Amino acid sequence: MKHSEKAEIFNKDEAKVNWHDKALWYVREKRDNSAHKVQGWEYLRELGSGIKANVLSNLDEYLIQFESNAKKNGIHVHWASNAEEHNEIVNSILVKHDAKKVVKSKSMLTEECHLNPYLEKKGIEVIDTDLGERIVQLAKEPPSHIVLPAIHKTKEEVDVLFQEHLGTKPSQGNPEYLVSEARKHLRNKFLKADVAITGVNFAVADTGGVVVCTNEGNADMGVHLAKAHIACMGIEKIIPQEKHLGVFLRLLARSATGQPITTYSSHFNKAEEGKEMHIIIVDNGRTEQLSREDFRASLHCIRCGACMNTCPIYRRSGGHSYDYTIPGPIGSILSPGKDLKKHSSLPFASTLCGSCSNVCPVKINIHEQLYKWRQVIVKEEKQPVIKKAVLKTAGVVLSKPGLYDFAGKSARFALKNFPKFMIYNKLNAWGKARDLPEVKNDNFDEWFKKRNKDG
Amino acid sequence: MKKTKVGLFIPCYINQLYPQVAIATLELLEKLNVDVYYPQGQTCCGQPLGNSGYEEDSKGACNLFVENFKEYDYIVGPSGSCIYHVKHHFDILEQTPEVIKVRNNAYELCEFLVKILGVTDLGASFPHKVGLHKSCHGLRGLKLGSCSEVMGPHFSTEEDLLNNVKGLELMSLNRKDECCGFGGTFSVFEEAISVKMGKDRIQDHLDSDVEVITGADHSCLMHLEGLINRNKQPLKVMHIAEILNSSL
Amino acid sequence: MNGLKKEIKMGREAILESIKKNKPELLTVPEIKKEIFAEDINVKEVFKDNIVLVGGRIKEINIETIDAEIKESYAKAKRIVSTSSKTTLGTVSVSKDTDPHTLEDIDLAIVEGELGVSENGAIWVTADTSIVRALPFITNDLVIILDKEKICLHMLEAYDIISNRDRNFGVFISGPSKTADIEQCLVVGAHGAMSLTVFLV
Repeated sequence: MKHSEKAEIFNKDEAKVNWHDKALWYVREKRDNSAHKVQGWEYLRELGSGIKANVLSNLDEYLIQFESNAKKNGIHVHWASNAEEHNEIVNSILVKHDAKKVVKSKSMLTEECHLNPYLEKKGIEVIDTDLGERIVQLAKEPPSHIVLPAIHKTKEEVDVLFQEHLGTKPSQGNPEYLVSEARKHLRNKFLKADVAITGVNFAVADTGGVVVCTNEGNADMGVHLAKAHIACMGIEKIIPQEKHLGVFLRLLARSATGQPITTYSSHFNKAEEGKEMHIIIVDNGRTEQLSREDFRASLHCIRCGACMNTCPIYRRSGGHSYDYTIPGPIGSILSPGKDLKKHSSLPFASTLCGSCSNVCPVKINIHEQLYKWRQVIVKEEKQPVIKKAVLKTAGVVLSKPGLYDFAGKSARFALKNFPKFMIYNKLNAWGKARDLPEVKNDNFDEWFKKRNKDG
Repeated sequence: MKKTKVGLFIPCYINQLYPQVAIATLELLEKLNVDVYYPQGQTCCGQPLGNSGYEEDSKGACNLFVENFKEYDYIVGPSGSCIYHVKHHFDILEQTPEVIKVRNNAYELCEFLVKILGVTDLGASFPHKVGLHKSCHGLRGLKLGSCSEVMGPHFSTEEDLLNNVKGLELMSLNRKDECCGFGGTFSVFEEAISVKMGKDRIQDHLDSDVEVITGADHSCLMHLEGLINRNKQPLKVMHIAEILNSSL
Repeated sequence: MNGLKKEIKMGREAILESIKKNKPELLTVPEIKKEIFAEDINVKEVFKDNIVLVGGRIKEINIETIDAEIKESYAKAKRIVSTSSKTTLGTVSVSKDTDPHTLEDIDLAIVEGELGVSENGAIWVTADTSIVRALPFITNDLVIILDKEKICLHMLEAYDIISNRDRNFGVFISGPSKTADIEQCLVVGAHGAMSLTVFLV
């Protein structure tokens, strides 16, 4: 289904759209306030962007350096070209540890690789431990936002879900009560887990360590209790030196939620004695995106979600309308690289207002890339016949003043003289909720000619 | 001294549907001691095609634009979004000296008045409560003002002009620079979201006691006006050129 | 297992080969001009404000009174783990060999922080000072004792200061565990410590 169709369905419940819009706008405002407090914020963004650009231009060397430093610290490093390889590697580690219970902290990469269903089929219990992720896992839905996975759910909906799955009492959606029940439920899971899986926010080439950021402490609860830690990262998570964390940790949480930093920024450099640490480095289409000059910078992304919070379309259509692991503006420039046909409507789900590019902490030119994807899609994907015919004809008309003059006049004639029912028919998407402009007697050309004659 | 030669660019939809905006623009420029010419045979900057992915098919329109305007010192139009397209998306043409000249010298009306002519007071009078809709291509594209997302000092070309209009009360909005949802063909291909965004923008103006919504991009205003008229809301829309040219 | 190993190796070479083929020309790493971030502020006072902003409590005290202060703040705590020699309140002792699962019902953990960061109220805590890595997370409540002289302006300075360390595990902790995943309502106490009190000494 196209984005516009899913968005239209989401818009059937206007009160919910208003709520969704306001909740995310509030996060955007918190981001603004937080950024205002940082001396040199725009310079910080420039640094973030510059460091990431350097990383992409030297990515192979950094990965080799990272691997070598990680190995020196006893970390097992694995490489996966695609999702299947990634999942197989995870499974092989679980088999080695005879692991039946896994706790996972938030990782968009494992979502992208569909790790949960893969492991569940093998009889392994996989529990998402980030509260928002646990909520959508119980609801059997994908996350609708990369930082706020359950932002599409009201507290009443969570209440019902918890009653059903965790046996909680009805609380009319009392957040404190629901969180305390989730804490108990998940604590039990942490204590019984064999292996913990986490994502990676940053992987440092010159130390071989990784950094994971959470507010809840779920990554740490998982890792420090389990026998083994598997950290899954896309190749683009590399940064050159540890000091560069000073740039990215200043940007990340402020952009994401407006906090000055996440509650926990955990630096894993070595496994605890008697335990194992594994890192899986995953490509899964990223090197292909690296080859596309116009879209390469999309790999700068540090997954803060700021572009979603600011996007007026995302706020009013919900994350599920994008039908991709990463929704919103950044998802709309990443997804066509993965499957152009399936995601061809996403670059059009934007007014190109540019707010996403302005909030992006690593200065990805998101709206310009959306424009560029449109050009690619029109060339490579079959377009609706009417849309194509209309726009192709327009191209010819607009290049010929005579034809244009004629077309302009006939359109005006139609607007002026056809009865309303003919203009406001079902095919007229403009007229469904909007009036058409009133037509004045002369167009400007005619007025100008008359004035010059009179003058 | 030779007077500055300005080529007046009137976007296609303004020419056909909003001649009063074009007239106000022309009259404003004529007041300001520049030589204004209105080249015949103008059509469109090609933006609707480019934004829909049909950039290749817009080359004819783009070349015609350059042909029409290559001889002027400045090209001035009452539409931030069209000017943005000329400045940023005419990179699909071969960059001949003419193309480069046209791209460098194309200005949105407000920017031309303030930056090039150095005028902010046009002697206008408009005793109404006005809400300014900052169109995205003007604001974020042409940088006519500071954006709420970007950290730095506040500035606004349109506010500078409106603050000098006698009797005009510029109302403060809750969301100062949110997109109205027009977005060219977005307005029809993503009809539901486009309409919702427009409704929300209008509500913000209503909540802020606005009588007249203005802006430097009439395409946004056309979308908002369509909603206002359909829903019979107590608001008027006027292009900023009309306000700056009024002497009530 | 052999088959898998082969594939993994292929993954590595294939990825590196593909990057080499597709990466742009080398761009330099930007130099960080720290002077742009310079601010003339009282780092200690801003640090205190930020601890409160992130949901923690902070008190500047005389080291002699630390036991009394902790007792006052956490009167009901019975099972207390302290890895700091500055207090005598510990009732459960831990070592590097302690199974973290046994700390499941700890009421209070007292650890020393090594460095505070003014801009965000974060405190650097390492495995060296917390002995058991899980301790600051699994405890119900957390006390961090921090030397008031050890507060820096921002994260860039912080990384300079901790650059020469034994890298095993370290964490910046900024406030108690929290979540806003239910309707954006901020709830303190998700999985980690339900409260954080910082004593500046």
